[in-house]
Amino acid sequence: MHRRSVFDQVFAVETAIALAVFVIVLGLLVFAVVRRRARAGLFVSRRREWKPVELCYAGALAAVAAGLVIYTALANREQGRENDRPVDLRVEVSAFQWCWEFAHPDPAGGPEDEPVTARATCRGDDLPTLVVPTGRNIRLELDSRDVIHSFWVPELRYKLDAFPGHRNEFTVRFDREGRWIGHCAEFCGHRHHTMDFWVRAVSPEEYDAWLLDAQTGQDIPAETA
Amino acid sequence: MTLTAPGRDRDRGRAPGGRPPSRYPSGRRLLLSTDHKRIGLLVLGTSLALLFLLGVLALLMRAQLARPESGFLDSAVYNQFFTIHGSGMIYLVMTPFAIGLGVYLVPLQVGAPNIALPRTTLLGYWLYATGAVIMLAGFATPHGAHAAGWFSYPPLADGRYSPGPGSDMWVAGVFLSTAGVILMGWAVLWTALRKRAEGMTMLRMPLFSWSMVATCLMVIGAFPALLAALVLLGIGRADPSVFDSNLWIIGYQHLFWFYGHPVVYVMFFPYLAAVGEVLATFARRPFFGFRLTVLSLLVFAGLSMSVWGHHMFTTGQATNDYYSLTSIALLVPAGIEYFAMLGTILGGALVFRPPMLFALAFIPQFLIGGLTGIMVGTPVIDYQAHDSYFVVAHLHYVLFAGSAFGLFAAFYFWFPKVTGAMLDDRLSHVHFWLLVAGTNLTFLPMFFLGLQGMSRRIVSYAEFDGFGTLNLLASIGAGLLAVAMLVFVYNVWTSLRWPRPAGDDPWQGQTLEWATSSPPPRLNYTPEHPLPPITSYAPLYDLRRTEDGRAH
Repeated sequence: MHRRSVFDQVFAVETAIALAVFVIVLGLLVFAVVRRRARAGLFVSRRREWKPVELCYAGALAAVAAGLVIYTALANREQGRENDRPVDLRVEVSAFQWCWEFAHPDPAGGPEDEPVTARATCRGDDLPTLVVPTGRNIRLELDSRDVIHSFWVPELRYKLDAFPGHRNEFTVRFDREGRWIGHCAEFCGHRHHTMDFWVRAVSPEEYDAWLLDAQTGQDIPAETA
Repeated sequence: MTLTAPGRDRDRGRAPGGRPPSRYPSGRRLLLSTDHKRIGLLVLGTSLALLFLLGVLALLMRAQLARPESGFLDSAVYNQFFTIHGSGMIYLVMTPFAIGLGVYLVPLQVGAPNIALPRTTLLGYWLYATGAVIMLAGFATPHGAHAAGWFSYPPLADGRYSPGPGSDMWVAGVFLSTAGVILMGWAVLWTALRKRAEGMTMLRMPLFSWSMVATCLMVIGAFPALLAALVLLGIGRADPSVFDSNLWIIGYQHLFWFYGHPVVYVMFFPYLAAVGEVLATFARRPFFGFRLTVLSLLVFAGLSMSVWGHHMFTTGQATNDYYSLTSIALLVPAGIEYFAMLGTILGGALVFRPPMLFALAFIPQFLIGGLTGIMVGTPVIDYQAHDSYFVVAHLHYVLFAGSAFGLFAAFYFWFPKVTGAMLDDRLSHVHFWLLVAGTNLTFLPMFFLGLQGMSRRIVSYAEFDGFGTLNLLASIGAGLLAVAMLVFVYNVWTSLRWPRPAGDDPWQGQTLEWATSSPPPRLNYTPEHPLPPITSYAPLYDLRRTEDGRAH
């Protein structure tokens, strides 16, 4: 949820800047509308340019732009640092028309074990659930079997596209337990709007117990956990 | 039996020794004339008609989204509607209307008797119109129209996942209409560069004509990339195995957005410049900061071709920091334009006629589109906002709350020049206030919907998502927009049916077109309506000042 805190900070800064600019422009506009209405005796400027002021202003804009570029690039780097953490466990996320599968490939750490895979139909309430332990670095490996999809968990403030024939991955750590909705963000055809899923973060102990249960049952229906 | 040589018949209506009253019957004259004003009217009329048609699609979509889990529209129909609404508004309405304004106005503003390459321009119109018909005719095919969104990423848009002739027709239609726009763009650019009247130096060209230079540079520089993308998509529709390779999947996105970002500026430069002309005219002063604004338009046009990757931040396959840098750099030319617009009205004496109202509303509304543009140009924010309703809100603030208000400012401003008739002020005010209320009620809630997690392009949402209230507000706003547009149509219709003569210059215009008659004669300037001396980018303003000086 590191990404979320970086997002919150940058979003707050840019919203504040945007609001300030908007209020200034709106204020000047209202001032012009109220005070510059055509009437007898109103002085009307014939000035076509005012070069020193315009150039200073352009310079100031460039400085603001440079500051903003540096600030946001650093934020982007800071957000991306989550990807460099040592990975505790991997989950393969498969997107397809029109649902998701979440495969936990090495449940007990041994390669001989079958992966535990969460499946569903994405019809009605039958949504797949991505179960993850809190406090661990989870590598999500995104792949698509057909068209481009996009893995979006609004609560995480993050999304990443799932391509066919190209693997995208990112690392995330959940700080608290909870259950959140996820959507497909990239339009992918007829049932794009039903391509939702749940993310459920549980304590590591609960997660291990869930994995053990799931291994005996293999396929997990939507809401067993 | 007598044989008549072809062409002889034409001479029959000719008065002895005189010229025939007209070479063609009036319908053919309108459709085949090489007069830039008639071609311009064809482009503007066609794109306005399509604005209404595609607006109806948007209304139906808003009706569907008003309540959660609504069954008013089926997903297959909804997907066709948003695809044709989006691609139609961009390829067939806002872009051609912008170029059409240039076709009509640039020769007048630079004092030329006609556009350069008139027959090429006419061909351009017909390619555009044919493309529009083909794209829309997709609705009549068994699978319906194309349904993969206006950027139609493969593999979704290829022959495997979007079978059916509707999609083929979409590719062909977009190709033809874009080719037509490119031809018209060349003609407008060449007119501004090579057909200027004696005394009209480059820096005496009015702001609107300058914006068309910058616009047409983007049209000829970036639009061919769309043609290339469409060829790639066409190949992938015939042989989908092309898109088994990620190279061509992501390659399509690069080609598409190399066109897809400059086109946004094609869809707002001419409207922004029209707003600039309106602000200067109704502030009763020349436009302030002219030269730096012209420079900023050219810088803007150049930068526009370096930012395309900001549409691909979430692909995991773009250099996000670089594209973010170029995108945020855009605030410099944009800030200069705002400085000039505000400077113009702050030192002027404002007259609140209908064109001025739309121009004034453009300033804060377009600003919302621009400021949120910087937000989505920031990768950290875009990871959340991308493909959500935040982007839908952002792009509609740019293209509707911004460009469409500029479009209406231009329409109200030049309507008396083009038709010789005035529009009704009272109805114009009703249209304006309904449009302001409807626009903000429709599109402001969408920012919050996007941040709350509503994906774009979904036909319905669940009750528990909690998107119901804001969507209902947006749909009510869309209803207001529909009423506003009906008022507009009624206004235009009554003004043309019972015209009140406008005279040559109803607004105290500042540029050359206001010196000629309304509507202008075939060759624009005649001995009865000669070109005034071209002293600056506001020659009629200069003329009035010297006349005032003599009177005192």
